[in-house]
Amino acid sequence: MTYVIGAAAVALLVVIGLIAYTRRPRQDAGLTSFRRHIDALSPESRREILDRARPLQDGEDDDSGDTPQESAD
Amino acid sequence: MARDLAIDLGTANTLVYMKGRGIVLNEPSVIALNRQTGEVLATGREAWQMIGRTPGYIVAVRPLRGGAITDFEITERMIRLLLQRVGVSRFTRPKVVICVPSAITEVERRAVTDAARRAGAADAQLIEQPMAAAIGADLPIDEPVGNMVIDIGGGTSETAVISLGGIVALEAVRVGSFDMDAAIQAYVRREHGIAIGERTAEEVKVAIGSADPTDDENQAEVRGRDLMSGLPKTVILTPEEIRLAIDDVISSITASVVRCLSKAPPELAQDFLVRGMYLVGGGGLLRGLAQRIERETQVPVKMSTMPLEAVVMGAGHCIEHYDALKTMFMGARR
Repeated sequence: MTYVIGAAAVALLVVIGLIAYTRRPRQDAGLTSFRRHIDALSPESRREILDRARPLQDGEDDDSGDTPQESAD
Repeated sequence: MARDLAIDLGTANTLVYMKGRGIVLNEPSVIALNRQTGEVLATGREAWQMIGRTPGYIVAVRPLRGGAITDFEITERMIRLLLQRVGVSRFTRPKVVICVPSAITEVERRAVTDAARRAGAADAQLIEQPMAAAIGADLPIDEPVGNMVIDIGGGTSETAVISLGGIVALEAVRVGSFDMDAAIQAYVRREHGIAIGERTAEEVKVAIGSADPTDDENQAEVRGRDLMSGLPKTVILTPEEIRLAIDDVISSITASVVRCLSKAPPELAQDFLVRGMYLVGGGGLLRGLAQRIERETQVPVKMSTMPLEAVVMGAGHCIEHYDALKTMFMGARR
């Protein structure tokens, strides 16, 4: 019985240790997060979005409506 | 499944970017209501055409002034209708990133996010307009160099220095192109004794307005109501008169650009002389404005290739890379 309780306690400690290890803040977490942030702002990353906007610009029609009459100076 | 959205909730226009699709809506931020029943009669372009031309029972209003919500209930209804138009229903609740002026207060921020959530968004995050504009204007903000962007909107003008994906210096004033329209209205009333509407003033500004003398200058014939007789009257306005009318607004904008330059660290300041500043926003389209800012700051000013769409494109990029860029949202940095 003692062996079983002992083995269970050891197993529990191992599990707690593993959980604590995986949950502890990694030293390179800030580095990785900052790299991702900067990579997401790179021109290559933005290319797709900007390309998507160009057809809209080309297809825009002028609906300026009733602007005041201009007379030459 | 709803596609996530980016919204440029501007004082003048509202643009919506849908994830994976691009810009799906671009309409004036105007709503027309029945004054008696409170029913919405029109939104966007249709409502804009009603401004100043409505019978007594209809009111066409802009629910945002100076980039802030002036009427929470009407703004919520306008956002709800806009979201419905792009396919959002009570069963499809998207994540939303909304561009707001950097100078808005905590109360105003909460008003915008609450309005978006109540209008059908599952989650609403805010991003500063100049940061979104810099992303959308394709500036190299991922590099350790000084990028300067001047965003002149309908109700606010913001200048920001951005480097390594973050704002280094920021300056905002609550004046924009609507203040130029109001200044033109006041000038015509004072100097010519006629009353003109908000839309006419805007049309005059677009037709002959400028911040600095330009090569091709024309006069404009403007019709309004004579304040003495009450009868319709026509007057001729010159570009010099318009420059004089809007000078205070332009001076206020250029002064804020100078203040932002003076806040920037010296290492970045030298980059501006080489790379220049970028002008975005509808107000930036005013003739001679780039030259005027350039003359007063001695720094080159360039016009963005997509001045009207830059802000929503930048926010759209944030919605496409939501996890990587969520640290840029306003709440995330507190």
